[in-house]
Amino acid sequence: MVKKTSDDIKNTLKGVDVVEISYTERGYHLAIEAQKENIVSIVEFFDKKSFYLADLCCVDYVDYLELVYFFNNHKEPCRVKVTLKVEPDKPSAPTISHIYTIAHWYEREIHEFFGVYFEGHPHLVYLFLHDAIDIYPLRKKQVSVTEDDKKLLSSFKPEEFEDGFFINLGPQHPSTHGVLRVVVKMDGEYIVSAEPVLGYLHRMHEKMAENRSYVQFLPNPPRMDYLGALNFNLGHVTTIEKLCNIEVPERAQYIRTITAELNRISSHLLWVGAFVADLGGLTPFLYTFQDREHILDILEGITGSRLTYCYFRFGGLYNDVDDAFIDATKQFIKHLRGRFGMYEKLVTKNVIFINRVKGIGVLEPGITTKYGCSGPVIRSTGIPFDIRKVEPYAAYDKIDFEIPVGATGDNMDRYMIRIREMEISLNIIEKAIEKLPSGPFKAEKVPKKLKPPKGDVYHAVESPRGELGVYIVSDESDTPYRMKWRVPSYSNLMTFPYLAEGELISDAIATLGSYDLVIPEIDR
Amino acid sequence: MNDIIQIIGQETVKVIIGLIGVLILVVVNALMLTWLERKVSAHIQRRIGPKEVGPYGLLQPIVDGIKLLGKEILTPANVDRPLYYLAPVLIFIPVLVSFVVIPFDTCLQVKDINVGILVILAFSSLSVLSILLAGWGSNNKYSLIGSLRSVAQNIAYEIPLLLSILPVIFMTNSLSLKDIVEVQREGWFIWKWQFFAFLIYFIAGLAETNRTPFDLPEAESELVAGYITEYSGMRFALFFLAEYTSIMIISAVATVFFLGGYLGPILPGFVWFFIKTYFLVFVIMWFRWTFPRVRFDQLLNFSWKILIPAAFINLLVTGGLLKL
Amino acid sequence: MTFILEIINGAISLISGMCVTTKAFFSPVVTVQYPRQTVKISPRFRGHTKLVADEERPEKTKCIVCGMCERNCPSKSIIKVEGEKLEGEKKKTATVYILNFTTCSQCGLCVETCPTDALAFSADYNAVSFMKEDFHYDLIKEFQKRIKA
Repeated sequence: MVKKTSDDIKNTLKGVDVVEISYTERGYHLAIEAQKENIVSIVEFFDKKSFYLADLCCVDYVDYLELVYFFNNHKEPCRVKVTLKVEPDKPSAPTISHIYTIAHWYEREIHEFFGVYFEGHPHLVYLFLHDAIDIYPLRKKQVSVTEDDKKLLSSFKPEEFEDGFFINLGPQHPSTHGVLRVVVKMDGEYIVSAEPVLGYLHRMHEKMAENRSYVQFLPNPPRMDYLGALNFNLGHVTTIEKLCNIEVPERAQYIRTITAELNRISSHLLWVGAFVADLGGLTPFLYTFQDREHILDILEGITGSRLTYCYFRFGGLYNDVDDAFIDATKQFIKHLRGRFGMYEKLVTKNVIFINRVKGIGVLEPGITTKYGCSGPVIRSTGIPFDIRKVEPYAAYDKIDFEIPVGATGDNMDRYMIRIREMEISLNIIEKAIEKLPSGPFKAEKVPKKLKPPKGDVYHAVESPRGELGVYIVSDESDTPYRMKWRVPSYSNLMTFPYLAEGELISDAIATLGSYDLVIPEIDR
Repeated sequence: MNDIIQIIGQETVKVIIGLIGVLILVVVNALMLTWLERKVSAHIQRRIGPKEVGPYGLLQPIVDGIKLLGKEILTPANVDRPLYYLAPVLIFIPVLVSFVVIPFDTCLQVKDINVGILVILAFSSLSVLSILLAGWGSNNKYSLIGSLRSVAQNIAYEIPLLLSILPVIFMTNSLSLKDIVEVQREGWFIWKWQFFAFLIYFIAGLAETNRTPFDLPEAESELVAGYITEYSGMRFALFFLAEYTSIMIISAVATVFFLGGYLGPILPGFVWFFIKTYFLVFVIMWFRWTFPRVRFDQLLNFSWKILIPAAFINLLVTGGLLKL
Repeated sequence: MTFILEIINGAISLISGMCVTTKAFFSPVVTVQYPRQTVKISPRFRGHTKLVADEERPEKTKCIVCGMCERNCPSKSIIKVEGEKLEGEKKKTATVYILNFTTCSQCGLCVETCPTDALAFSADYNAVSFMKEDFHYDLIKEFQKRIKA
């Protein structure tokens, strides 16, 4: 796939240099340097080849700004990094939002954080920030926001809409999504348009990363997604191990797999409870929390925390596991296997639930590349894309497991996929416990002050919500130069305005619930 | 004393005492039902509900009432004042009046009006009016949507409600609730061919009182709190108590029509009446904590396309059997 | 015909759901009646940090006032670490160690990077106060209280 793509690029696009990169060192296969004139044609080429836009970020090297586009393929991994250099004062670049719809939000984010103006973008308003902030935050030198830019950024005022009846769903909401506000324009009970407004929980994790050393940033990723905290921790740690070429001992890899899968089960259990609570059935929420308590107790026994685990370190783990952990996990596996029948009777076979959920929120496989969906959302459309199989990390290449896919892409499929994923995770944990080798739990010779070599690296991990990508640029000092987190809920949420058009508001809320959004990770 | 009784008339004194008794019963009952709901929901969710205040938390509703009395009664700025103030009062009146005709025992009925069931049905339609007043007067988009949904739901489900009790009236030849109970001495209507009527009545009654699975007007996760969003303090308490009392009325009418009212061996009549009524109330609460919510158009579909035809068929079959 | 079958299947699913909740109704409660009953704390629980006694001189802590924990804390929660060099000792002994627990995220970096393993997690989970200053723990004072008891 990599060779084929590289040859295709050389044949179709003239004057474009393709460089092959070592995947094990950098995390991507090809690198292309683009100019402002040919960036749109390069992006159109990738769109024709059904690549999806995995990430779009900007790095401020003081003499120039560099826009970095990451493309990837659902069928076979082939990560392509396309870079575009932009001048530092009054930077501007052509927009690609007409080709990839997810770029609408990426470009808005880059505009408000770096000041890059995208020509042709229809709606460059504030995504996370607000108009009391006078500088572009992620620039290395202080650059103030110009008056015209401020006017452009604050031009979204839904309270001044004259026609139509609009209501706010949120930001304080009785459902457990988080702090999400959706401005919904309604016509009776039907939705005409829905626009999510983000930024209520923005804490500038990426700026914090630039001011703290690699080790000091360790508590931050679990706070970004508190439900899949170990997976975020794993993504962070594996990326830096890739950058510094640290080898992790086998025992640590297996324990990382076991704990990450336990975390996945606890996140899915909470989602099942919250989803049915959104629809009105308040009891399964309590039952899933009761099951989740077991996992929290098990993980508290080894990590010491119950929700925001800071357990993995560079080169291994903080401490080893003991026999009590293994026994408790085996008991838990047996207990949870017996509970699935109860959930089936109470929720899955319930006729009211089926009528609320089947055939609603149907996502076609054709548009998933435009949005870069990942996780159960894309698996529900029939595409078996799972980072654990496609680009294995930790011990996933040594354990055999299957990937559940759905048929129609509706809410029912997403629900069934998550239930099935829980069962598969139990199998993975069982196999990993059997194969658990003995040995050291931490690599030796990991320097206390980590100074990685110069360069950039990208690594993706499968969190319970989808593909989590970490892009780190290092300049040999002990703090990262730029750290960008590509979070799965961001691109999944972007499909919501598309799916909510023309739906009843009850259906839209059920669809929003089925995405399994965690807003703190979107807002970072 | 006797002079006063002679002037006013014995009937009137009996009615006044009955009304006072009903008032006390309604208030105590509504408070107890809040306690029962919390306990039932807690045990279904495998936890203990209120347990600190009084033995088994029995004094919890009283303490809650005191708390609600002490809350500041906020009136938002742009509400339509007459409608906003009238709505909670108006919702409590129908349920109070409906208790007048319910027979708790052979001689424990405030007044045996000979069109008793019509009184109850007529007054339950009045509660729709108060919901509409609450939703419109609150000057709030969520309240408006919630109250409009409630109005449509109430209108749609009144027809099956009526149609399902018509067969019983046919079999009794009387609209008076006392007569209906007396006829059941030969056998309760629930196993004298009216099982489906009982089911239809129960489901329609659930929808009339806005209980799960038909509680869209108060859908918490969608519309914050529906038509009672803008009410706080004692006004909110009135809405709540009216809902619990109307549950009681639906169960009481179901008991009278299908389960034999106060008939039963050994124990006194009103004990049996309360056992049967509270059993149905318990089932209603059980439904709330087991099922998710039905979507609005599915709800209306269910009424118009499933319940009404079923009720009609039941009516025709009963009429046919009675003729033969 | 299929219409009636659908209705019957739907009704059966509703009744089986009700059986599940009935079973739960008669099952024992799973909650712990805090504060009358308490939950056992696991030994690895991350409360606030505490200083560990030196094996050879149990009335002193192992802290040598190197400042590694202060420098490594991501949220700058360790406010003051001071010590003095007593006569006849090779390394410094700590006299003041103030931890601002309101900004601590229990990441464990201080415990990990301490060269003498002088810090450990305590199991203190229900600290409560009206003032923020009460959470500026002086770990030396707490250590002395602990060894007196």
